Formats: sequence, C-alpha cells, structure tokens
Amino acid sequence: MSEKTNYTKAFTELQEIVSEIESGEITIDQLSEKVKRASVLIRICREKLSTTEEDVNRILKELEGENG
Amino acid sequence: MNDLKIFSLLEVMQSIRRTLGDRYQSPFWVKAEMNKLNHYPLSGHCYPELLEKRDGKVIAQVKATLWKDDFTRITANFLNVLKEPVRDGISILFAARITFDPVYGLSLRILDIDPSYSLGELEREKQVAIARLQKEGLFHQNKSLDLAMLPQRIAVISVESSKGYADFTTTINENPWKYRFFYMLFPSLLQGEKVTESIIAQLSRIELVKHHFDAVAIIRGGGGDIGLAGFNNYILAHRIATFPLPVITGIGHATNETVAELVAYRNCITPTDLAGFLIQQFHNFSVRLNEAARSLSEEGMHLLVSSRRDTDDLSGAFIRSMHVLLRQSNTGLKDKAGSIRSHSHMYLKSQQQQLRLFTRQTGNVTESFISRAKSGISLLATGIKSATGHLVKLSEKELDSLTRQVSTLDPAKVLARGYTITHCNGVVVNKAAMVHPGDTLEILTGEGTIRSEVTGTGNHTIDNKHQ
Repeated sequence: MSEKTNYTKAFTELQEIVSEIESGEITIDQLSEKVKRASVLIRICREKLSTTEEDVNRILKELEGENG
Repeated sequence: MNDLKIFSLLEVMQSIRRTLGDRYQSPFWVKAEMNKLNHYPLSGHCYPELLEKRDGKVIAQVKATLWKDDFTRITANFLNVLKEPVRDGISILFAARITFDPVYGLSLRILDIDPSYSLGELEREKQVAIARLQKEGLFHQNKSLDLAMLPQRIAVISVESSKGYADFTTTINENPWKYRFFYMLFPSLLQGEKVTESIIAQLSRIELVKHHFDAVAIIRGGGGDIGLAGFNNYILAHRIATFPLPVITGIGHATNETVAELVAYRNCITPTDLAGFLIQQFHNFSVRLNEAARSLSEEGMHLLVSSRRDTDDLSGAFIRSMHVLLRQSNTGLKDKAGSIRSHSHMYLKSQQQQLRLFTRQTGNVTESFISRAKSGISLLATGIKSATGHLVKLSEKELDSLTRQVSTLDPAKVLARGYTITHCNGVVVNKAAMVHPGDTLEILTGEGTIRSEVTGTGNHTIDNKHQ
C-alpha cells in the first residue's frame, strides 16, 4: 500500500509542478529547483512501471496464517 | 367384515396405474423447477427432482425420469438455444407422461424440455438480479471504486490450465514495453453449476490479502459460450459489486453480458483484452509522465526564453517610449516656437492693422474736420452772403422809408400841405410870446409871402401825437 502511495504521491506532485510551470506561477528563480525535484519524481514513477516487490510466498503465508 | 373386499397391494397399485393410464392417455406440458437433475453418467439416465415453490416454500414435489436418449437430445437443444446444458436450479417447461410403477410409485417421465422457456426464465432471473442490485444501490458500487493509476498487482481467478489464463499471462509477461506486473492465481471453477460458490470462495480468500493487490481479474476462456448462467447469479453478482477491489472480467463470450460482468469495475470480454486494458493503464501513466517531462523542459525553456524576451521587450519598450517622449518634447517645442511665431505674427499684424485703421481713422477725422470746417465756412459764407443781401435789402427798405420820411419832412412839402413859417424880425417864430401886438410878421407859404400885423397872442397848442 505504501508503495502504491509513493508513486501516486510522486505523480501527483509532478503534475502540480508541471501545472505550476505551465500556468506561469513559477518565477525564473524557482525554476531550477522545481525542475530538479520533478526529475526525481519522474524517475520514481518510471521505475515503478518496471518493478514490483510483491511476493507470492509472502501472500500465501498470510493466507495460511489467516486460515490457521 | 366377510363382505369386505380385500385387495392385494399389487392390485391396488395396478388399479391406480390403470386409472391414471385411463385418465392421462396423452402427454401434457408442465412447468416446474429442476431442483436436482440427478444425472448418472454411467447409465446416462437422469432422475430429476421437480419442485414448485411459492414464496420460497415448496408447494409441490415429484420425482421424474429422463432416459438417456431423451436427455442427449434435450441437452443438444439446450446448448443450441440456451448456451447452457440442462442443470440444477433452472425453470423448465417439459412434456411428460405420468407413470406409475407398483414398486417405484408415481413419477413423471420427461419426454422433452422446451429450451426457449428456460431461456426466458433465465433472462427473467437475470433481470430480477439486476433490478435487485439496482434497488439495493449496489449495481455501480464496484465501478465507482478508484482503480490504481498502475493496476500492477492482480489477483487472478481462473483455471491454471485454461486457454484464457494462458492468453492473459502471455500478454502480460511479453509486453514489449517491459511493464512489470505481479499476478497471483486463485484457482476456481469457471463453468457449470459450481461456478458461483467456487468464485465466491476465491473472492473471500483474496479479500484476506487485498492490501497486496490493486485489482481482481476473473478470467475464463476456451469454453465457448456454454455454462455462463452462473454469472447471472445474484449472490455472485452481489459479491462482485461489493468487493473492496475493482473486479475486471474477461470471461470470453459473444452473447449478452452476464450480471457479474455488468456490475464489475470493467468488462473486457476476452482475457487478452483484459491484459491489454491493464497495459493501457501503464501506457496512460507513461504517456502522462513523458508529457510531464516534455512539458517541464518545454515550459522551462519557454520560461527562460520568455523572461529573456520580457527583458528585451522591456528595454525595447523603454527605448521606444524615450524616443516617443523626445519626439513629443521636440514636437512640443516646435509647436511652441511655431505658436509664438504665429502669435507674434498675428499680434504684429493686428497692431499694424489697428495702426492702419487708426491712421485711416485719423485721416478721416482730419479730412472730415477740414471738410466740416470747409462746409462750415461755406455755410458761413452763404449765411453772410444771404445775411448781407438781407441786410442790404433791409437797408434799402429803411432807406426808402427814411427817404419817404425825409421827403415828408421836406419844408416845401410841408408848406404845400398848408403849414407856414412865420418870421419876426428875421427870427422864426415858434412861440406866441416872441411877438407883441403891432409887430410886423412875415409869413412864408408854399407859394408867396404874406405880411401881417400882430393884433394879439393866445395859449392855444397843437396835440403832439402827430409829430
């Protein structure tokens, strides 16, 4: 769940930065900092597309635990 | 008791059979619920339990027989029309004949079952399930859940050996964009009578570990259109509608959507489409990411360019406005100079004009004065002339009058009128006292002299008025 939250949060923050820049709310002074942050967020989201940390065995163990 | 007729059991049973046989000579149509089909695969015969319920209570019940040959024919009809075999729990309209066996008792022998009636009944049951879910406000419940931006972790309800499951995993695993999915199989029957309870059991397992998953996929495939009736089951549909995770279906058929599919978050029809749908979500996310990245670089560049342009614009505008200002002041000065020039010009002109006017007026005044003087003089001259004439005339008149007066004073004329002049001793006598009696008077008349002697004097006078 926290994993999901991470990329969703990252994506939301990214969208906010983009819309801030698009709507011209950002001054030239803030630009560099915002672009740097956006790059980090894009990397987090792109990594999420090609990785997952779920493990069948862990889930099976949980199911057994619930049943037993 | 002797006259009492006693029958053997067989006789009674045979009598009943005969009576029923007489009464029910031809087959008749009956509608009932197929409670249990009771098919015996070895013999191929079925021994169905038929029911009629009212308000959930059994109000009629009978055993039936369906022989192998009839069952085979009926099943073929059902699969053709209903896409379903004859199975437990469906309503049927069947042709029957009453049979009564002394050993096995009463039963109905099913000769034929009308598949269209069952189809209508199934459709009706489906509509009832839909209406009930709608009434309960659950029909859209699963659809209104939020699907994760990246539906990456999928709990799959399927049959491991099925073609549908293979289609799904192949599409997911071999996507060319290297999107990574996690899926876990929760094996279930997906066809036949046990579908409902089997799927529900797996949904319950998934619910226990739901925090590991983004969505549930119900995948079936390769089974054609047969055996989907279980997906119209109200209980299954209810479970799907109220499930805490979005449920996506790919149960692969071409006929009307089942209730389970209708209430699912999304119905993708085929397992491959379902995999495609999940991949599409990744695409959407990826596209938005790329757009964000492009937008960032474009907008960032744009911001840089535009701020430079703003500076340029500002300095340009400054220079331009200074030019304008200079030009304006220049023009202003020129205007002022021109205005001064034209004003002084006008002033001068007006002064000159006034001067000329004044000069002209002065000239006029002088001239008129002179002419007035002249005319005055001439008037005077005329006056004088006329006055002189007048005077002369007047003088002439006076002269005439004088002359006349003078002529009247002439002594000759006076004498001629009778007056006389008296002398005494050479002196003109004008007073009586100047003479004394006896003096000789010489009296001069108009013509001739008289000599006379004074005898007396008196005081007699003449009135002076007529002098």
